[in-house]
Amino acid sequence: MRCDDVIRYLEKPFTAEESLDCLNLFLRKWFEKRYKAPTPPQLYSFKLITEGKNVLITAPTGSGKTFSAFMSILSDLMNLSLANRLEDKVYCIYVSPLRALNNDIYRNLNVPLDQLFSDITIQIKRITVGIRTGDTTQAERQRMLKHPPHILVTTPESLAILLNSERFAEHLKGVKYVVIDELHELANNKRGVHLSLSIERLAGLIGHDFVRVGMGATLSPLDEAARYLVGYEGENERDCVIVDATWEKRLDFTALSPVRDIVNSSEKAIDDSIYSIIDAIVKKNRTTLVFTNTRSGTERVVYNLIKRFKYGEESIAAHHGSLSREARLGVEDLLKKGKLKVAVSSTSLELGIDIGTIDNVVQIGSPKSVARAVQRIGRSGHSFNDVARGEVIVTSRDDLVECSVMLDAAKRRHLDTFTTPKNALDVLAQHIVGMSQNGKWTLDKAYALVRNSYAYHTLPRKDFLSLIEYLSGAYVGLESRRVYAKIRYDEKEQAFSRRGKLTKLIYFMNIGTIPDEVAIDVVTPDNKWQGSIQEEFLSRLKPGDVFVLGGKPYRFDSSRLMKAFVTPAPGQVPTIPPWYSEQLPLTYELALEIGRFRERMAAAIGTPAKKSRNGIAALRRSGLKPNAEARKLLDAMPIDENAKVAIFNYFTEQLLYAGCVPNDRLMLIERTIDKEGERNLLIFHSLYGRRVNDALSRLFAIRLSELLNADVAVNITDNGFVLITELQARPGAKAISALVDGVGKGEMRRILTRDIRKTEMMRRRFRYNAARSFMILRNYMGRKISVRKQQVNSQLVLKAAEEINPDFPIIKETYREILDDVMDMPRAERVAMALASGEIAHKVIETSVPSPFSHLLITFGESDVIMMKDRRRHIRELQRQVLAKLGGRAR
Amino acid sequence: MRIGRDVEILDGLPVLYIKSLSAIVCTDLHLGYEGVAAGRGAFLPKANLRKAKETVAKAVGMRHPDRIIVDGDIKNEFSQVHAEEFNETREFVTFLRSELKLGSITLIKGNHDNFIDRLRVPFGIELHAQEALLNGYLFFHGEALPSSSEARMLIMGHVHPSIALYGRLGTREKLRCFLRGRMHDGREILVLPAMNYFAEGFSVNMERDIGRLAPVFREMLDIDSMEALCIGEGETLSFGTVGQLRGLEL
Repeated sequence: MRCDDVIRYLEKPFTAEESLDCLNLFLRKWFEKRYKAPTPPQLYSFKLITEGKNVLITAPTGSGKTFSAFMSILSDLMNLSLANRLEDKVYCIYVSPLRALNNDIYRNLNVPLDQLFSDITIQIKRITVGIRTGDTTQAERQRMLKHPPHILVTTPESLAILLNSERFAEHLKGVKYVVIDELHELANNKRGVHLSLSIERLAGLIGHDFVRVGMGATLSPLDEAARYLVGYEGENERDCVIVDATWEKRLDFTALSPVRDIVNSSEKAIDDSIYSIIDAIVKKNRTTLVFTNTRSGTERVVYNLIKRFKYGEESIAAHHGSLSREARLGVEDLLKKGKLKVAVSSTSLELGIDIGTIDNVVQIGSPKSVARAVQRIGRSGHSFNDVARGEVIVTSRDDLVECSVMLDAAKRRHLDTFTTPKNALDVLAQHIVGMSQNGKWTLDKAYALVRNSYAYHTLPRKDFLSLIEYLSGAYVGLESRRVYAKIRYDEKEQAFSRRGKLTKLIYFMNIGTIPDEVAIDVVTPDNKWQGSIQEEFLSRLKPGDVFVLGGKPYRFDSSRLMKAFVTPAPGQVPTIPPWYSEQLPLTYELALEIGRFRERMAAAIGTPAKKSRNGIAALRRSGLKPNAEARKLLDAMPIDENAKVAIFNYFTEQLLYAGCVPNDRLMLIERTIDKEGERNLLIFHSLYGRRVNDALSRLFAIRLSELLNADVAVNITDNGFVLITELQARPGAKAISALVDGVGKGEMRRILTRDIRKTEMMRRRFRYNAARSFMILRNYMGRKISVRKQQVNSQLVLKAAEEINPDFPIIKETYREILDDVMDMPRAERVAMALASGEIAHKVIETSVPSPFSHLLITFGESDVIMMKDRRRHIRELQRQVLAKLGGRAR
Repeated sequence: MRIGRDVEILDGLPVLYIKSLSAIVCTDLHLGYEGVAAGRGAFLPKANLRKAKETVAKAVGMRHPDRIIVDGDIKNEFSQVHAEEFNETREFVTFLRSELKLGSITLIKGNHDNFIDRLRVPFGIELHAQEALLNGYLFFHGEALPSSSEARMLIMGHVHPSIALYGRLGTREKLRCFLRGRMHDGREILVLPAMNYFAEGFSVNMERDIGRLAPVFREMLDIDSMEALCIGEGETLSFGTVGQLRGLEL
């Protein structure tokens, strides 16, 4: 493995003796009484942390991860206590993104402390643990102020608040350790970025550094995670040792196809089979954990298992984010006590909450990332030495290929990668306000501190200054700054400081990075309320889509602000699966793996024997047997026989029909019309993951819109995208070739930025960013501001900010977030250029009916419309269309 | 775009020009809007006043009028006197007087226009409480019914008209517009779009009960028969009547 001076991997563990020698004697005795030996991660960490090294530990659940971080810390505190030097102050801060996890840790530390101190007969000061989250009562906070705990368990948001509570900050002066848990849930998002700044601010506030310990389950690349954890000291990266015990637990998993032929089996047959498979697995084991990809899916599985197999209400339970906290705690408790036969969850149980022993994990449908698959399956197995068992049941043919490749990648330990958002200006704006509340900062000093965070090390100074300008209210006249400014800036001294009492209040009331989401009211034209849907779901609906709400189908007509207008559509088939909104995007790495598999598989099949429509009919009737080459390839994969046959047939059909199987180095472009014969479809089999497709498809659509001078609708999925135009705007062969050649030209980032401006996504994301940077408030003067109001406000702010300065930092940040975090613009640019240069080949075919590989692509997906750019022309075109409809003539 | 011999919609602007009065007419500026929003926790950068100045200056440059008529709601807040609002209104009026050299400023009081009295004397503003009949044109804001029956044409603001258009591909476009039509008694009426920069407008082809907003539509006029004249880029385009635009999908 790689190894440089600063971030290094430790590959050889210390011996058990070396590790235990690090511990305080009482603690060691306690440990040896309860555990046979240190677990693999502990064999690395005890010594490293004792030596004061920054350590990143990745290990699966059940590997004693918590103690691997805490033993050395407890040992240090024990030594202090024995020397009678343990003071009333915080020595260690533990941060996790989950309150539930905080409660676990609090318990998991107090139980051994109870035992430890009851074993000790001499009178010494006890090590205390305190918990501080949004749930902590005022009385407890007061108590903590008087008696600070030695180990403080908290969340990123509460930590940020503590940095600005002057009296408590005094207690933090002696912090020696900061432990961040579930790092994989933080390092890749703005919440983690926010935390990284809090930690640098903590170091600045107390005037000395501390040992940083990070814990995570499955994440890659580890050096990126380590850099996120430790950050920089000035220009130098801080040291970090990486302990990778991810693969210490053996995994055993298989992808199952519920039926031999997923396409031609009825939905009922597939469902019947899926539930029978689950039932058989549940009956074989003591406790089974079933993962679905969505909350609604979770409810469906519970409902079906009870209905079909008479599961007792006390033996099965659902666990997901929409349930109340009490309900979830109840389920966790039953699991811990081993009382449940089966628990069904969306994502909520994949994190490190203690749920006792799971024998087997069942995953329904693709979890969309190798890391997540490993993480979820890793939840099973009694202990570290046990094998974790899991089955993935697929629901469609694309799902089948995806899951098969995913598990194969997991077997080869190929994980998908994450990146940390860089230089997020909204989060920084929030922290600058927090910093100003701590005292006076020269620009140089503040900028240097911010750059210690890995997420901001490359921050251009001018971006930092643009935030100071914004926050000091430079964008409004002097007389308005009283209301607008959040910090006081002294130009002469080049320093900023706190402004007004109200700002502190605003800061405390609006801290954090998690946006307020809202349920969208679904109403019929007569304004009758039918139910509600998630905002995210709404943003993916296009007029005409049919979706199910409360068991009834509705046709989506339009939306205004926080309302969706629908017409009841009894008997119509939904065009959008209800779970789509929550679906996670397919990762780039996994998409490439699928591409490579497609290439190998197509080569193995060769030229199918019966290259005719009759051949396909024969295929439909009986299915074909894999030839020897294909058989060899399929047999090497962790999948069942049904799955092998289904994959073979799927590929053969595609070969017969389209003459080729698209892969990551061959983009197939299919020109066809939709089944109503009303619109042109240009289908791109683009295998680079959804985030790339999101950007790439829009680049293509913008270009096509220019070429045809028409609006272009886009439908985006994991495996490709579709460009849709009205019948009269038909993309000819010339246009397609100009499209492929031209898409990689020009400043793609700028082109896409201009287009994004009018999207629903921009409107929503700007709201998040405006709220994070306090341009609009979520809570003000003791009142909660409704999301609807926030949305209206943020739209107005956007409009005005754009008018005064299109580079306004929060606008700039929103574009960055969309292009780099939501989409994957850098890779999309590379693909576009590779296509133009021929490095990625493309093939255009014309089909009367879309090819097998594109069926799911045109059915489901998220959509958007690229409108004609020339505004004057656009409005004239609108007028022409309106008057044409009305039978008049343009004047 | 000409409306008869004497009246013209200035192309691409939410502004009317009346030759016989040598006047430009606009409405619903809602100056001070940002300050009020900021007081409620939405810190809008200031853009409205600047845009209003730009637009009026453009209109003045096109036709060189002597007079400006604001058909109500020059400022935003109903209830209290906002210092910023007062300042912005004063700045705007000063601009009209000294930069644009407009000799006469006429304000029709809208539902948002209390305290404007304080500007009347220092700036020599002609202020009308309800409506003003000038040379056969009746200017009224619109939150109440017009009372004069002598006018040949009525001109109103208040509703911020716009039309919303939906395309089959999922597009949505909202265009600010003038509404032109005839009252039940046969007189002509024009409804002006809002000049406020933030006002996207109220989609008149989506709303069923516009009489709620302006009683004139309940008692004296059928909105569906009115023609929507939309503001484009440097031009004004007719999109047919409001009634025709209801439920239309492109």
